Amino acid sequence: MDISNMRFPSPLTVTELNQYIKDLIDVNPPLSDIFIKGEISNFKAHTSGHFYFTLKDADSALKSVMFRSSAQKMEFMPENGMKVIAHGRISAFVRDGAYQLYADSMEPDGVGALYIAFEQLKRKLESEGLFAPERKKPLPKIPSVVGIVTSPTGAAVRDIINICRRRFPYAKLVLYPALVQGPDAPASVARGIAFFNETKSADVLIVGRGGGSVEDLWAFNTELVARAAAASEIPLISAVGHETDFTICDFVADRRAPTPSAAAELAVPDTAELKQKFLNIISRERAVLQRTLEGYRQRLLRSSTSRVLRSPMNTIEDRRMAVLALVQRMDPAIQRELEKKRSALASASGTLSALNPMAVLTRGFCAAFSSSGEIVKSVERIKPGDAVVIQMADGAADAVVQSVRPNENDA
Amino acid sequence: MDQETLQKMSFETALARLEEIVGALEGGTAALDDSLALFEEGVALVRLCNGKLDSAQQRIQIVTEENGTMVEKPFDTPAG
Repeated sequence: MDISNMRFPSPLTVTELNQYIKDLIDVNPPLSDIFIKGEISNFKAHTSGHFYFTLKDADSALKSVMFRSSAQKMEFMPENGMKVIAHGRISAFVRDGAYQLYADSMEPDGVGALYIAFEQLKRKLESEGLFAPERKKPLPKIPSVVGIVTSPTGAAVRDIINICRRRFPYAKLVLYPALVQGPDAPASVARGIAFFNETKSADVLIVGRGGGSVEDLWAFNTELVARAAAASEIPLISAVGHETDFTICDFVADRRAPTPSAAAELAVPDTAELKQKFLNIISRERAVLQRTLEGYRQRLLRSSTSRVLRSPMNTIEDRRMAVLALVQRMDPAIQRELEKKRSALASASGTLSALNPMAVLTRGFCAAFSSSGEIVKSVERIKPGDAVVIQMADGAADAVVQSVRPNENDA
Repeated sequence: MDQETLQKMSFETALARLEEIVGALEGGTAALDDSLALFEEGVALVRLCNGKLDSAQQRIQIVTEENGTMVEKPFDTPAG
């Protein structure tokens, strides 16, 4: 369509014009798939998750938006002043009559290759499990020696020393002077970490440097440093650059500190806090001890106020009363028993006297006893001339048998 | 524990012993006489630890190479 001679036949509404321009832009293929480089300004991460910002260079500015779906996938948080290469499409926002970039991805400009290297190494070490939480060693509560691997002239060492001096002068600080930027930095930092491990001369390590450009911090993104940090048997705190700088060394370290100062605070306890803790221990122990004492006191009180100890005579009296009560209970029982026995005895003796063979003698019978004292019950047992004793109720008579006559009908 | 042994104790040893005492006291297994002795020892240890903290002068060393071996030397701090 040749539009060189086209004119709008009548006045357009603003919306119609803006829509027309939007359509013009949208059908232009290069604008729908475009890389733009510039510096971020007016950056705003909206609560909706969308990013709003302006890309600018020395002379010009471009309004930009990145919707949440893309913003979520960002590997880094954009910041004002950051130079980036953004990808997306250009379109117009009809309501405002403004065209803008609808970005779907973004990379830091100028470090593209480093950025890729960073991501690659990160993925590699992560897949080896070097970032695993279970590999992280706890930091010592009270270190005697803090090993520091950093530049002896930078701000980092000064910050670390100042914080340690303020918080915990008790610990000795040993600095391994390392190169922290430039081509020899990775080997130098790795040697520092290895030195403390080989000599076992520190309880905790701080490895890092102060802030700088991505290139300045690069040593801490190298495999050499990452592997040295991962191999450290001494708990290691990584402290590289500022809060927003993340390095591979941070991921491998047992702890990441946002800054060298923060690393020092992680490495050593605060003397004042420590003393407070001691105070707490003492007061807690005093309380425990008092509870124990109170427990003993109660037990002692219970025993010492018992009746036995208070008046021992009481218990003797008690026993006596018990015996008495028993006697009283026993007495009628015994009386009854005696009475029973007594009457039984009386009836038995009555019966007995009735059975006394000599009792018949009182009725006029006699009994004859032989000389050997046996009662003569049959004529068979005596013969004439035998001496016998004739027993009567009131006495006895000695006699001699004259003759023996058996009963006739018995013969 | 007599004063001499106590004074010779390092901060770390004293702290470890203190933790041991706390454990014993809170476990409630110690006999009363022992508890009292332990408590006294704990108080003495805390005093010792506090004293050591108060009197500590931070030593700052730097590792340097001398004749092929690494040695520690006092570090002139770039104090700020």
